Amino acid sequence: MKQLITNYYIEAKTTKEKPICWITSGGPVEFLIAMGVIPVYPENHGAMCGASKIAVGLAEVAESMGFSQDLCSYARLDIGGAATQNGAIPGGLPKPDFLLCCNNICGTVTKWYEELSRFWDVPMFLFDTPFIHKSKPGHATEYVKQQCLELIEFLQKQTGKKWSDDRFAEVAMLSVEGVDLWKEVLKTAESRPSPFTCFDAFIHMAPIVTLRGTQEVVDYYKLLRDEMQERVANGVGAVADEKYRLIWDNIPIWYEMRNLGNLFAGNHACLVADTYTTAWAVDIKIEDPLTSMADAYTKVYLNISIDLMLDQLLALIERYSADGLVMHSNRSCKPYSLGQYDLARAVTERTGKPALIIEADMTDSRAFSEAQTRERVDAFIESL
Amino acid sequence: MSGEALDRLMKMRDDPYAAARAWKERTGGKVMGYFCCYAPEEMIHAAGALPVRITGENRDISKSGAHLQNYCCSLARTGLDMALDGTLSFLDGTVFVHTCDTMQRLSDIWRLNAGFAVHADLVLPVRFETSSAWDYMTSELASFAEGLEKELGPMEDSALVESIKLFNRNRALLAKLYQMRLASPGILPYDQALWCSTSSALMDKAEHTALLEEIITDLQAGTATTDGSGVPLFGIGSVMDQWDFLAMVAESGATFIDDDFCNGRRYFDFEVPEDVPPVEGIARRLWGRSSCPCKHVPSRDRGACLADRATAAGAKGAIFFQFKFCEPHAFDYPHVKKALDKAGIPSLNLEFEQGSVSIGQLRTRVGALVETIKA
Repeated sequence: MKQLITNYYIEAKTTKEKPICWITSGGPVEFLIAMGVIPVYPENHGAMCGASKIAVGLAEVAESMGFSQDLCSYARLDIGGAATQNGAIPGGLPKPDFLLCCNNICGTVTKWYEELSRFWDVPMFLFDTPFIHKSKPGHATEYVKQQCLELIEFLQKQTGKKWSDDRFAEVAMLSVEGVDLWKEVLKTAESRPSPFTCFDAFIHMAPIVTLRGTQEVVDYYKLLRDEMQERVANGVGAVADEKYRLIWDNIPIWYEMRNLGNLFAGNHACLVADTYTTAWAVDIKIEDPLTSMADAYTKVYLNISIDLMLDQLLALIERYSADGLVMHSNRSCKPYSLGQYDLARAVTERTGKPALIIEADMTDSRAFSEAQTRERVDAFIESL
Repeated sequence: MSGEALDRLMKMRDDPYAAARAWKERTGGKVMGYFCCYAPEEMIHAAGALPVRITGENRDISKSGAHLQNYCCSLARTGLDMALDGTLSFLDGTVFVHTCDTMQRLSDIWRLNAGFAVHADLVLPVRFETSSAWDYMTSELASFAEGLEKELGPMEDSALVESIKLFNRNRALLAKLYQMRLASPGILPYDQALWCSTSSALMDKAEHTALLEEIITDLQAGTATTDGSGVPLFGIGSVMDQWDFLAMVAESGATFIDDDFCNGRRYFDFEVPEDVPPVEGIARRLWGRSSCPCKHVPSRDRGACLADRATAAGAKGAIFFQFKFCEPHAFDYPHVKKALDKAGIPSLNLEFEQGSVSIGQLRTRVGALVETIKA
């Protein structure tokens, strides 16, 4: 995996002929792959900066430029990284030729990419996916489908290349194959004991997020699936003597992942599934890729109402035979976090299973108290 | 003070929702709350209901803390608190417009907990200036109108046309009031001008329009109430409801000459075109009005627009007055500040939360800005 991601970043940093497009994590990357564009994900880079504990320093650069400390920490560290040509990749992320921003994960990305568009002086395409409160009206599907066509126009103009439906069908097929394999990987965690924890999934999700639609991703997840299925067959669990099975909600606390993993594992608790990595398990129908993509990209977990999120949470709890729910209330991410208090109560009311809420931030460790979290996790496990 | 009509309007400021409660009692009609000024008020009005804007208030949170984290804006937190403790019990329903991430989630939380009979969402496009976004917007507005009809009763086209005329008349008068102040700021303190605009979203539109007519006549006849020599400032933010702050700014020797607040200029600028079908007209206004930072309008540089407007108004300085935790405004701040700097307009960035504004601390900073400008 490390090799796969390293090769990807080396190509992105050294390419002379391929254009580079910065894209949001929920964006329709298949269009870029089909046009031979290298997608670069500031959010993936943000996670790397968080995990390697350099996020705060980069965020402080943006703060010194006038960006409030209350803004999303991915955005802050990315803006700081761009300004100083710095980050988890030597010399920072490669300069974009254009930007693709999809607001199905938040409105934050719209503002963040507007700033990137000004900073790099490159064009930005906003792929606007109307939020779903109850059901998706026909005109919303039509709007998103039309934008797929506008995006194709935009990419032709930016790259000077001609769009090929055949090439796109090929990429869509590979994307479906990769997504299906990723689902199979996640499914192995239904076994007791689970062969991996969500902390492992957070690491292994990088290819499905960034390189979906390529053969390398398909090959990678075949290997991973086989390995996980073998572990299941041999009864190998990720956590020694697994007693409790839990669901994680929200983006990981990247700088604290190892400690948190150990803390839960030490209590024989395995985080078997999460609402985050399943976000990339969207359905695309090969007969009509544009319509089904428009549909899939609009219906992602963060673009639906609390009621619809609750249905998915309850389904996860049942499917993975979970004993409780751990929610990261993430200062950086309002669409993910606002509503968690209601969701936590609803889950407990409906299933009788407890929920723990940890207040933190995905990469800004200044918003995290280790001692307090440790205490609360211990108390929560005792309550199971 | 310059007359009875203004006195009447100013009294309302102590109890902003008294007029809506009285209207409901008097008419037996339905009252529909909304947060965002992209809400198509004319549609609510044409369906026979009273649209009332909810903007939170200065208060300590008692009930909404169980639903909203403390890292979202006080507009959402105090607004929900008012719904949960009965302060907004005169509402029959609420309209939520897709504004920002917080409003989007507040809509769900509100629907699940506040217990009002009617709940309507209007999911406007975020991306403007493309034909697909325009088609989506008009379809969404039409289906929103249909939904409102089901809840509130029929909305005849002719009624909608009349509502549009009335609301346009009100907008024109508010624009005139702001224009008169631009020419001679001394005729009316800024906080009163802003309240004229703010209160328009809180009471019966015909009644408010009649008051405005009277106020303008009185102002035209009267003489300046203040000396008008204060340093002219431009205000930038979303909702500005901190009247003590505005009084302090006046005491510090400055006055806002114009603003981009969404209960100020942004509430009333641009009229609905009356020569097209009504729903299309409403869409055109929302499409063309000066934009909120929540909308992506590629051809428009918000920084340059605001710097131009501040310059045209003759402002010598600007104050950003922003809700803490408001992402759309905070993301734009460095860019807009740069544009103001370039135009030679010094500015001050103030963050606030309703219920915990410390006038003393802000006084020092406003005083320093005023001194800089005077120097």
